[in-house]
Amino acid sequence: MKRQYIYIAIAALLLPALLRGLWFYRGIPAARPEIATPDYASFSRPAVAINTPDLEDIQQLGGTVLLDGAHVNQFLLSDLDGLTSAIRARGGNMKTIIDPLLLETELKSSSAYITVSPTVPFLESEVQALKNFTERGGKILVFSDATRYFLGFDYVSGNPIPYGDVNAANSLLKVWDIAVNNDYLYNTEKNEGNFRNVLFDEFAKNEMTFGLDEVALYGARSVESDSGLVLLQGSESTLSSTDDAHDPNAGGAVLSADGSVAVFGDFTFLSSPYNTYIDNATLIQNMADFILSGERAANFDVFPYMFKEKTVKVYVSSDLEKTPEIVAALGSMQSTMRTLNYKLEFVENVPTSGDAIIIGSYEATDDFDGYLKKADVEIDSDILSTLAFGDVSRSGNGLLLFDSAKKGNTLVMLANSSDDVISLLNVMGYSGLSSCLTSDRVAVCSVGSGDYYFDDTSSDSTETTTEEPTEATPEVSPTPSG
Amino acid sequence: MSDADARWERIRNILLWLAIPLIVGLLLASAIVPQPIIGVIRLEDAIYTYSAQNTIKQIHYAIEHPEVRAVVLVIDSPGGTVVDTESIYMELTRLREKKPVVTVVNGMSASGGYYLSVNTDYIFAKPTSMVGNIGVIGYLPPAPFVIEDIITTGPYKLWGAPRDSDMRQVEMMKEGFFEAVRLGRGEKLTAEDNVTFSGQIWSGMDALKLGIIDEFGTENDGSKKAAELAKVANYEVLDLAVPSGINVGSGVFFFQSPDGMQMPYPNEAGIYMLYIPPLPVKQ
Repeated sequence: MKRQYIYIAIAALLLPALLRGLWFYRGIPAARPEIATPDYASFSRPAVAINTPDLEDIQQLGGTVLLDGAHVNQFLLSDLDGLTSAIRARGGNMKTIIDPLLLETELKSSSAYITVSPTVPFLESEVQALKNFTERGGKILVFSDATRYFLGFDYVSGNPIPYGDVNAANSLLKVWDIAVNNDYLYNTEKNEGNFRNVLFDEFAKNEMTFGLDEVALYGARSVESDSGLVLLQGSESTLSSTDDAHDPNAGGAVLSADGSVAVFGDFTFLSSPYNTYIDNATLIQNMADFILSGERAANFDVFPYMFKEKTVKVYVSSDLEKTPEIVAALGSMQSTMRTLNYKLEFVENVPTSGDAIIIGSYEATDDFDGYLKKADVEIDSDILSTLAFGDVSRSGNGLLLFDSAKKGNTLVMLANSSDDVISLLNVMGYSGLSSCLTSDRVAVCSVGSGDYYFDDTSSDSTETTTEEPTEATPEVSPTPSG
Repeated sequence: MSDADARWERIRNILLWLAIPLIVGLLLASAIVPQPIIGVIRLEDAIYTYSAQNTIKQIHYAIEHPEVRAVVLVIDSPGGTVVDTESIYMELTRLREKKPVVTVVNGMSASGGYYLSVNTDYIFAKPTSMVGNIGVIGYLPPAPFVIEDIITTGPYKLWGAPRDSDMRQVEMMKEGFFEAVRLGRGEKLTAEDNVTFSGQIWSGMDALKLGIIDEFGTENDGSKKAAELAKVANYEVLDLAVPSGINVGSGVFFFQSPDGMQMPYPNEAGIYMLYIPPLPVKQ
């Protein structure tokens, strides 16, 4: 009996807890699973290979590379360290141009032109000057970069608007059928340390890509051209930020169809330490070879930068008396040539080798016969017969002949009289060839008013003036172009 | 024994063997079988030292109190510092080893916020909650230079690290984040990696399709789910901020302009798991 009471008591004691348990719990929860977390110790920084190209057999190419500073370019010289070192190693020198009005002149003495992240569009006159430059053998490198821009703000929303270099670069590149896209390339699957550091391992066959296995660009815009060559082509997982898609016709760098203009969507890879990663150093060496490999034209397009060597021999024919006026004109020419980095060396005989300037009158044809024949020019008593310009009055006109040969480049300067020679020498100065008819190898320059000066209203003046040339010779104007 | 005595004896036995144990049982039952609690931890701030400490205190409270049978982590956060995010993440792991944890996203669970979300058993969000932005963001240090009036004992004492090294470090941290997402969401993720890890921030509607979240729901739904996982009913929902005794207030994380406007980016340069909204930015 007592045992029954004990059971009842225990049941009564436990019943509330049991009821609470049933009220609050719906079974026994399963054992908690093991919670998997990342194995942080297993992660490591992405490594990069540093490859050093063979720099022992660098060819001394020489040449002047004009660096654009006239388009509010967004770079520091140190950003280009890798490239400038490679250019200097090849005997090239860099020269910065900040005045667009001087571009055409400066290009005459340059073998390459580099513009880096310009933000001010190129003028039509600049584009034409650069087009002419490439047509006579010059090379152009254009660098854009997705990480360079000025931030503007929308007036209404305050939204930031990046003003990059795309429009300015394209204003130059359109004549070569090349376009830089307003995007950046990325690859989340295979990259150099970050998705925006794109690896390229597909290359067009070209001297610029010689010896490359893999290069990296850092924040690169895509570049494309219908007619040109895509030099650096990313893999299919390389996407454009514009549409998050791969464009097989665009890449990190493009070469124009004529081979004269190379465009890169990035220039960060030129700076340290990125210029040493993977095969970037080799690419930079190839770029330096490319821009210094251009054959500089030797014709009147690059006047007066027509000489190969720094020392130019000057021969004045014996029929020209070295009057004070002639000496002054020669001195002025010497001074001008010095500013162009040419040294003049006056010689007694017609130079047979090296660069030379030969100065004389039309009478001393024996000294110039060979050059006249080469240039298809004949000098009669009144007329200069030229293939390029037909017959030209010899009175009041000077003749420039240019001959480019292996032994050296020669400029022949002829005129009718001492006074005309003095005027003709001035074309070596600031007046240039602006008052001249020019072809590749022959130029005819006005050096005075000739025999027509006193008889310009007469219908039969030609006959009159040719009969009495010495009487009609006007005073020599020091600036023939007026 | 008279009838009266027998009646009294019966009453006495009932009282002694039934009523008293029942009363004692009732008194003991609430101690033996307490009402289960679904704890609520709110992370409604950026993740930085101050908010992380508060969150961790509440996590500890939940771990140490057996009546807290499950936890609902209510998130409205753009993320924050990497180290504070990882601190909470590790404490959450300890909690999850013992009790279920359910995330309820209110406004946003971005970057570091989502890093924490994936370390829970279930994720609710609103259709227009902003979720994702998986990845790391860092400000690279400047290229080193010498300052005459500051003497240091090494080239990177002042700058921390070379810029390139910092970039690679960010990449390494990214791997930890990505792995946490893979482990936390597993086969629930329906999109390719290049979508999931693109850094996009999605609305809840998109996030559901991508397997970034599990379901649309409110805090109430979160509590129910937590209770279901813990197999409890008739539970109490308790905001753990009160019993854990966290400090009320806030620290300074976001940059404040001189005119008092709070900017969406942090006060200090560094490496973050943080969503920085692009707009509106005023000059």
